[in-house]
Amino acid sequence: MTDKYNSHDNQQNTGTNAKVGDSRSPALLRFIGRRWRAVWNGNPPGLILLLAGLVVALIMSVPIIYVAWRSLFAGADSWLRLLDGRIPALLWNTASLTIAVTVLAISIGVSLAWIVVRTDLPGRKTWQWLMALPLVIPPYVGAVTYIIVFGPSGWARDLWEAVPFLGDYALNIYSFWGVFLVLTLFTYPYVFLIVSASLRRMNRNYEEVARSQGYSTSKIFWKVNLPFLRPAIGAGAILISLYVLSDFGAIAMLRYVTFTAAIYFQRASFDTASASVLSLVLIVLTMVILWIEVRTRKKNKFYQTSNSYREPDTLKLGKWKPLALVYVITVFLFSVALPIGVLLYWTYIGFEQHVIDERFFGFAWNSLKVSALAAVVAMVLALPVIYLKSRYPSFISTGIDKLSYAGYALPGVIVALGMVFIFNTHIPAFYNTYYLIILAFVIRFLPQAMQAGEASLSLVSPRIDEAARSLGYPPWKVMLKVILPSIMPGVLAGGALVFVSSIKELPATLMLRPPGFDTLAVRVYYEASEAIYYQAAPGALLIVLVSLIPLRYLLKKY
Amino acid sequence: MKKYKFLLYPVMALGLLAAGCGADGDDEETADTGADTDQETEEQDDESAEGDGTDEEAAELDGELVVYSARNEQFVQALLDKFEDETGVEVRALHEADPLQLVEEQANVQADIFISNDVGGLEYLNQEGLLEGGDYENIDSIDEQYRAENNEWIALSTRARGFIYNKDMVSEDEVPSSMEDLFDEEWADVPNGYAITRGGNGGMIGNVSALRYEWGDERTQEWVEAIRDNAAGIFEGHGDIRRAVGAGEHAFGLVNNYYYHQQLEEPNDNNVGFVYPDQGEGEMGAIANAAGVSKVSGGPNSENAEAFMNWVLEEENQLAFVGESLEVPINPELEPPFEDAVPVTELNFQDMPLRELGNYFQDTTRLIEDAGLDLDLR
Repeated sequence: MTDKYNSHDNQQNTGTNAKVGDSRSPALLRFIGRRWRAVWNGNPPGLILLLAGLVVALIMSVPIIYVAWRSLFAGADSWLRLLDGRIPALLWNTASLTIAVTVLAISIGVSLAWIVVRTDLPGRKTWQWLMALPLVIPPYVGAVTYIIVFGPSGWARDLWEAVPFLGDYALNIYSFWGVFLVLTLFTYPYVFLIVSASLRRMNRNYEEVARSQGYSTSKIFWKVNLPFLRPAIGAGAILISLYVLSDFGAIAMLRYVTFTAAIYFQRASFDTASASVLSLVLIVLTMVILWIEVRTRKKNKFYQTSNSYREPDTLKLGKWKPLALVYVITVFLFSVALPIGVLLYWTYIGFEQHVIDERFFGFAWNSLKVSALAAVVAMVLALPVIYLKSRYPSFISTGIDKLSYAGYALPGVIVALGMVFIFNTHIPAFYNTYYLIILAFVIRFLPQAMQAGEASLSLVSPRIDEAARSLGYPPWKVMLKVILPSIMPGVLAGGALVFVSSIKELPATLMLRPPGFDTLAVRVYYEASEAIYYQAAPGALLIVLVSLIPLRYLLKKY
Repeated sequence: MKKYKFLLYPVMALGLLAAGCGADGDDEETADTGADTDQETEEQDDESAEGDGTDEEAAELDGELVVYSARNEQFVQALLDKFEDETGVEVRALHEADPLQLVEEQANVQADIFISNDVGGLEYLNQEGLLEGGDYENIDSIDEQYRAENNEWIALSTRARGFIYNKDMVSEDEVPSSMEDLFDEEWADVPNGYAITRGGNGGMIGNVSALRYEWGDERTQEWVEAIRDNAAGIFEGHGDIRRAVGAGEHAFGLVNNYYYHQQLEEPNDNNVGFVYPDQGEGEMGAIANAAGVSKVSGGPNSENAEAFMNWVLEEENQLAFVGESLEVPINPELEPPFEDAVPVTELNFQDMPLRELGNYFQDTTRLIEDAGLDLDLR
């Protein structure tokens, strides 16, 4: 009722600004109408646009709310049983891994960024993007290659045993250390990219002041540079720790059990009560990390003085040059050359065994289909949210925006779990169709489309909207007909990001795929866990190649 | 509305394109069938020729069949492909499914056929009223003790639990000779230790159910806790174990006997042996289980499911069901695909009717969970 009144009111409002309160409407409605406009700072959006935004927010957050809801009614029995033995162990496994990976990835990321951006390392321009390359290798693919090389029957064992004095092969990839190493090697670029960008923007003046005080280079790094880098490091650390919390493929292949794996296995054996209890704990864990991020961001505010900006100078490595070069090359070898080499080798063998056949193309087609459709849907759904947020700021549009991030922050297993619950019991018509996979991808990756779109939208002046509104267009029409054409490149870039993330996605796809509908990611997981590497490698290589698409975009963004 | 008419043409064009692709696919399928049947008997050649001529079979059966299978994909996919080729029914398979998925989906039945490697799971579903019986041709080739009362499920191949071991690392008498042996911590000290599967594995669930029948719950839980503590490797599936033992990563592993047969067929890492436990006088005998098929009650393609049940009971297809798993067919008329398999008659088996496993199924998963083996991987 009130909405109707408001939309009616809005139209009047747009037409002639003067006639605000309709004299015939009752006093109460008039009061609500006034409050409503106050919420929107006198500029409420049209009903259609607002509804579109609300629907998106609802779709994005419902699966997660549903999981939390179900876990509360899982029964005291499930809670007690899990709290007693399971949760403490899982908490320890998950937290220690998350912290360890985050710390090492930060060390590698920051040191590499420093060496590559600030020193006279030979070929530094090339290293700047070579060091970002592990980003295109999904950690579960990386894990496969590490099992092939360092596994108990891997190539490394043969080498080890060829050396007479080493004795029995002592590396155990199926351990905390294996998971720790693999996750670190394929997530450090998050920190590397963000910190490199910050380093490039750093003002030289501060360093010179420090140097004039007699600070050495290493002291300058700790006292001057590092504090400046803290926001960048923090942002990278959040990305990495959230990733470790949500990873399923790599840990499952390396036989390490964290919350995500536990939830997946509980779900696979249909202990739904336990699965939802564990999910709630994981949701809380994620919230804690996000809360830490908000806290630290508030505390650390650093200002760069832009008017006296001077580019930082390049430091001479001197006698450290060989050592720095060895370090950079080592990281490159282990995080890029080794996995890609292994994939190429096994793809070649697979090619000779004719595994790249009709079946393979079927899986590739399935991957393409769900990822492309998810990209299109995400581009469409992102529009009302970003438009509302940018042109109609209020706590309602902020709420819609925040809710749209729900699936992005949380692991795929939880999104999938929520969707299985909802669709199996309430919307059975869509249960077990590939539309569910598409929806899961959209819930997981919509914010990627939003961020890219928002960046473009911020460059379009609100004056254009106003002009269109004054010609009598309702807000949703302004968005589609006037704004959309000018922000199309940004929207498409966002779609590309969603596409690539979707094609790599594993746990939600595993949990939601209907019978007979396998994607490349699912096949890579399956073939690798059956140790049929020549069948796993071509699909994995294809996923890596596709992931190269947005790398240029990412490198430009940071 | 008229404004959008222009959209109609590209959509129609796409539709035609899709139809074209579909037709292509069909052509290739029939071509495949032709090639396949060349290798089979002449009789079948004639049949398929007739089929092509009159299209009788195709007219009778079309559409799709949804198969949930708890078995390893490697063992089942060829069988399903064969059915698809011979009948034209499109098979949509979900591999490594859990029987409880059928329970969860009972208000919204998705599957037509459920294939399992654990009679416990099958009989449990039957007791829940989720399976549907039938009077199938050639049903008499399977002994009654390997079927549910009204053929709600039919077991087609059998297996026994036992220990695969690496002959380079240990000799036969250094491998446990009974399930009870595993209580002993000393087995943690064999070179590289031993391997078991995760508790969620169907074979492990059957194993634990059988022990509960024999020993009662308390002792069985202690046993699960003992192997959980003492095993050096806890794997997702048995295929991992046979490969790991073959490669010397572990000295021995608890698997089903046909995984030993499979490992012997490998080009390398095949110096392995197998111990059937509890064979001595007065001991409980080897733990048996079976793999079988069942028709899901209220499935979306009931007719195709019925046809599948009849089809899979043809002797040729019973063998195809055993397929690459190298299990022993239950039908005594059929030759086991693995020549050196120990004939069932020579083994001392536990005296529990397989159907009994169904009464234990649900509590067993709880017991495994309480012992903490359900989530471990190592």
